Amino acid sequence: MLELRDVDHRFNGNLALESVSLRVSAGERVVLLGTNGSGKSTLLKILDGLLTPTHGSYRYQGEDISPKRLRERGLNLRFRREVVLLFQNPDAMLFNPTVFDEIAFGPRQLRMPDVEERVRHWAQTVGVAAHLHKPPFSLSGGEKQKVCLAALLAVEPRLLLLDEPTSALDPRSTGWLVDFLAGLRITTITTTHNLSLAPELGRRALVLGENHRLLHDGPIEGLLGNLDLLLAANLAHVHKHRHGAVEHRHWHAHDWQ
Amino acid sequence: MHRANHHQALLLAYAGAILTATLVHEPRHLALGLLLVLILAGRQITRILLRTLRVVLLFNLTVSLGYVLLALLRHISPWDTLILINLRVLTLTCLTFLFIARVNLFQALGFSRTLTWLLVLAYSQALALKQVHEDFRLALVSRTPIRPSLRDRYRASAAAAAWLLDKGLAGAHQTALALRSRGFFDA
Repeated sequence: MLELRDVDHRFNGNLALESVSLRVSAGERVVLLGTNGSGKSTLLKILDGLLTPTHGSYRYQGEDISPKRLRERGLNLRFRREVVLLFQNPDAMLFNPTVFDEIAFGPRQLRMPDVEERVRHWAQTVGVAAHLHKPPFSLSGGEKQKVCLAALLAVEPRLLLLDEPTSALDPRSTGWLVDFLAGLRITTITTTHNLSLAPELGRRALVLGENHRLLHDGPIEGLLGNLDLLLAANLAHVHKHRHGAVEHRHWHAHDWQ
Repeated sequence: MHRANHHQALLLAYAGAILTATLVHEPRHLALGLLLVLILAGRQITRILLRTLRVVLLFNLTVSLGYVLLALLRHISPWDTLILINLRVLTLTCLTFLFIARVNLFQALGFSRTLTWLLVLAYSQALALKQVHEDFRLALVSRTPIRPSLRDRYRASAAAAAWLLDKGLAGAHQTALALRSRGFFDA
């Protein structure tokens, strides 16, 4: 479905990604792990065609994705319909006067049929049907994220990119989102730095290290059993414990049970 | 310490130059000042000049047009005023960009803890807001398979502005609380 070849990205000379190569096939559920600043969001924005790699290439469905190619109306239309990104901050995505308009925005732009039915279906599916006539800014963080998801899914994408979708959610909303994503039948790439959630978000794990390189690309089980890798990626750490008079040190990933 | 003094000396020189450029009313002197700034820019001359022109173009055009209209109404020649205003704005802006390029503000304001603190707060806030603004822009690009209408762009801008205002107010409130907690407002 998509392929990155030897991708580097720099912001004003500062390295964000280095020598990243990967392929994702249709239907895969991929989880992208890494600490803050490792380049996860940058990678997702490259995959959504919003940023252009400083070096290397990105192909989606065999097409080169570059600013020049995305100026071609046909490709841009297809790409923007098929590849969607849920931003970490849902507020960045919401600008319509009502939740209904927000979900209808994409389908209306694409002149899709049955817009009203489509909006009601996705609002019902994500659980925001009761808020359809409210302004999106009046909703809670979790509800805003659901509206964004409904708005993205209403255009029937093939690839859903999710940037830290659980970072601002309470445990109940997190549980809902994990179940919801598991039920989707499209390709997903989800970033997180939460090890305990990773196996729920994808079977294949990509790990970006603090050096902005891909440290791991393989089954999630292979990652969770590899302490050296977890420590190298700064996803686990070592610290002291005191048990009565005895003090010892061992490694932890506090969110991983 | 030596470098910090160097930056503070440049800050002082900059303040003096700004004051002088504001008080000089002779276009030839201002033109000489502009020339001097451009010579001091050295290799960065093109970058600083282009940056200056980009920033002042709209402002200078608007103000110049206003003066031309006023001069026409009063039947006087607009040229002296136009040359003076444009030269002054160009000189001040070039000087400021040269100052920013050459001086580390954190070191220049190092003589005052309070000013350094305020600079850190302003700088971090500006960086955070810049990042947020970029995210709003990219989100709109990501969500629009076809070019968004003017109405959609206005709506997206309004939503971003409202969010940034809310965020700015909340941030300022938190900052004020943090400063109070650290004794900043104590006599």
